[in-house]
Amino acid sequence: MRRWLLALPALLMVVVFVVIPYLNIVVMSFRTPSATAIHGPGFTIANYARALTDSLYLGLLADTLLYALATTSISLVLAFPVAFHLARTESRWRGLLYAGVLSPLLTGVVIRCFGWIILLANDGLVNQGLGLFGLGPYRFINGVGVTIALVHVFLPFMILPIMNAIQSVDPHLAEAARTLGASGRHTFFHVTLPLAVPGIQSGVVLVFVLSASAYIIPMLLGGGRVQTLPTVVVQQLMGGLLWPFGATLALILSLTALAIIGVFAALTRPSMQRVR
Amino acid sequence: MKTGVPLALFVATVYVFLLLPIAIVILMSVNAGEYLAFPPQGFSLRWYVAFFDSAPFTRAFALSVVVALVAAFLASIVAAPAAIFYVRYLRVGREQYRLTMLAPLLLPEVLTSIALLFFFNQYFLGTTTLGPLLIGHIAIAIPFVFLTVSSALYNLPAGVEEAARTLGASPWTTFRRVTFPLIKSGIMTGAMLAFIMSFDNVNISLLLKPLGTSTLPIQLFDYLRYDFDPTAAAVSTISVTLTLLVVVVIDRIYGLRAVRF
Repeated sequence: MRRWLLALPALLMVVVFVVIPYLNIVVMSFRTPSATAIHGPGFTIANYARALTDSLYLGLLADTLLYALATTSISLVLAFPVAFHLARTESRWRGLLYAGVLSPLLTGVVIRCFGWIILLANDGLVNQGLGLFGLGPYRFINGVGVTIALVHVFLPFMILPIMNAIQSVDPHLAEAARTLGASGRHTFFHVTLPLAVPGIQSGVVLVFVLSASAYIIPMLLGGGRVQTLPTVVVQQLMGGLLWPFGATLALILSLTALAIIGVFAALTRPSMQRVR
Repeated sequence: MKTGVPLALFVATVYVFLLLPIAIVILMSVNAGEYLAFPPQGFSLRWYVAFFDSAPFTRAFALSVVVALVAAFLASIVAAPAAIFYVRYLRVGREQYRLTMLAPLLLPEVLTSIALLFFFNQYFLGTTTLGPLLIGHIAIAIPFVFLTVSSALYNLPAGVEEAARTLGASPWTTFRRVTFPLIKSGIMTGAMLAFIMSFDNVNISLLLKPLGTSTLPIQLFDYLRYDFDPTAAAVSTISVTLTLLVVVVIDRIYGLRAVRF
């Protein structure tokens, strides 16, 4: 089958430079640490024992997941009305509104953080504005700023899937419900919202994973006061040679996030089935 | 469907939230003062001059453009045939194949860059050349080309390829004269998305860049961590403008609607 040759370069690329390196991290997380080399001889589970018993790392894991949870919930609340509006609007500015959602996504994360630093710094625009009313200055370059920036950076990933889901639902369904005597609120909760569930589900998964693995945003908007597991892992890897332990921490974070997503998917499965 | 005033207000507020930080950066870049304050202290392009005078920033900018061009080009060459294979020929294991191609997009970038850092240091020369950085950028760009080319193939008018074949065109001629011209815009869109993803990337670059070199986002990141002045805003604005230009081109040839997640 010479046709396989079409797929070969891309498959090789992904397998060699993504799949194998991932398997390699798993192996690395079981290696013994070494002060002089990438890892010592032999294998051990000590890295996992250390990560899962040290309250420092457990606290970091909890903080990381809390930031991800807060980001996901706030994004969902902000995204749903926007997605709904965007999917149903007949405004002639529709293309522009769509670009408005898409363009932050296409602006580098560092630049968006920079915008928030200008706004939220101790002498930033928000505090200058509050100062006009005799308020503040408040300190935002901490967990608050990190959460705001996380929501900002990942919000489009929530809006777009929900918008797609609502768009694929026939608007006449809601109209039919209204015609048959359902109230506006009843129609929303029993027709529109359930049909948007697949979109909500993918949005939630995307935003949760992205915000749990974010490290640029906490580093820039935390002012050195916010530490999450990804920031600690990256700093350790760039600074020292604690690679096996760094690999363990990274894997524990990914597996925990995966487990939470699994639970979430299981919880939302009943409503997914109702849609189908 | 009629939308109420409260909904419209809420939606408008979210748009302001989405666009404000970017608008502020652009505003700051043309502000005459040292620091953005109410009200802005007049219009000036001095920070753009400062950017062009700053060797670290211009060098980082040039590197970013080159890396993004190479990554987008190579990712397209590799991923477009893979998409053709997926849509036209693959019969078994389709879902596994698709997930493999999309893996770099579905897996957290920070983990991918850690994985590549280990991989190159253990089995190759480490991150002493631009090779690892480029490979990382190509890897994360592949899914975008794969997605846009597959959707372009699915959207082909039914039967045009069969028509060409029936009329006696060889498979190669059919591809060159019928299929390729019809999916060209899909490939271009994928390549441009790949360019943007590479150009804006921090996660892969931070861990995989050779010592002493910087891409633009990394240079900006280092700059912002210690200090910042409006030069960073000018740099950001130039970068945003470049990205927006690419988006406008995508919109013209293909329509932004094609960009789905």
